[in-house]
Amino acid sequence: MTVLEWQIEIAQAIEQAGVDAVVYVPDARLRGIVEALSDAGPRLRTLTREEECIAFACGLLAAGARPVVLMQCSGLGNALNAVGSLCLPYGLGLPMVLSMRGTLGEGNPAQVPMGRATPALLAAVAIQSFTLVDPGLAGQTMAGAIELAFRTGTSAAVVLDALLGGGREAI
Amino acid sequence: MRCLGVDVKPSEAVASAVAQMPGALCVSSLGTATSALRLASDDGPHLYLGGAMGCGLAVALGVADARPDRAVMAVVGDGDLLMGAGSLWSLSGLRPPNLVVLVLDDGRYSITGGQDVMAPAALAAVAGALPGVASAQANSPDEVAVAVRSISRPGIVLARIDESPWPGPSPFVDPPLVRRRFADYAARTEAIS
Repeated sequence: MTVLEWQIEIAQAIEQAGVDAVVYVPDARLRGIVEALSDAGPRLRTLTREEECIAFACGLLAAGARPVVLMQCSGLGNALNAVGSLCLPYGLGLPMVLSMRGTLGEGNPAQVPMGRATPALLAAVAIQSFTLVDPGLAGQTMAGAIELAFRTGTSAAVVLDALLGGGREAI
Repeated sequence: MRCLGVDVKPSEAVASAVAQMPGALCVSSLGTATSALRLASDDGPHLYLGGAMGCGLAVALGVADARPDRAVMAVVGDGDLLMGAGSLWSLSGLRPPNLVVLVLDDGRYSITGGQDVMAPAALAAVAGALPGVASAQANSPDEVAVAVRSISRPGIVLARIDESPWPGPSPFVDPPLVRRRFADYAARTEAIS
């Protein structure tokens, strides 16, 4: 597979931040990020459901480790229970990366409603989100979100816009 | 389905388990499991979940992944485990060698009034079928102690309980306080069985 430059930059930002574990449910656009992580980088944990990823990562954070969660935005609905009743009230600052579906170039009608709702859902639970459209800002954006989350205990989401390419829409 | 013929309070089952794993990092699911762990550990520095039903096992898997040098115990209700049953597959896939899962199995959603859990009897069969995961059943505090002490890890101990006469301390914990106390406790570096 072809790994895109912005995916490499995000992987490098994750490694340079000393992230211990990348916790995720697979997605086409996220795949390149995971591929770009080195063998010496964070351990990879593929779990069964996005809510489980949030909970697992909260366990890591509570015990002193540094996780990043990756998910497709369609999984945000699955994850909200753990976000709202664990991650937020316990003050666990979790960096996450959401790959957008249901927007520009989408071909699957079933993806559209949750994709359209993603920004509002993040805003409703007061998670700052930073949409990445310009591939040249990928590394900076990821590094900044990780720093924000770990240093302030405030969860933050990097949202990967469809215009970045590398996603399911293109297959 | 009610658990007939079992008269084990949740706190008795949890106290027996905790005594076998002194120094373990414990995670409890919301409701009865959190109340029981608070009582059994004298409100120790554990990770009590006040919400996030279905997430108890997943959080414990994360703690076990973060601290492979420490023993970890998950205390979860049967209803919580069913809501996050996919984590049983993650348990089997990750196979953390430091995790024991104590399931408080009464076949009921206790905190909401004791409504029946669907097909509770399947838990033992499911636990026993997971590759790389040991399982045991316990019908008394003594059996819980034996099971927790002897089970290989990762392992699931299904403790049959009946809590109808047992109110327990509040499961409504103060999340930031719980997090800070747990973080301090987890930051200790000494290896404890």
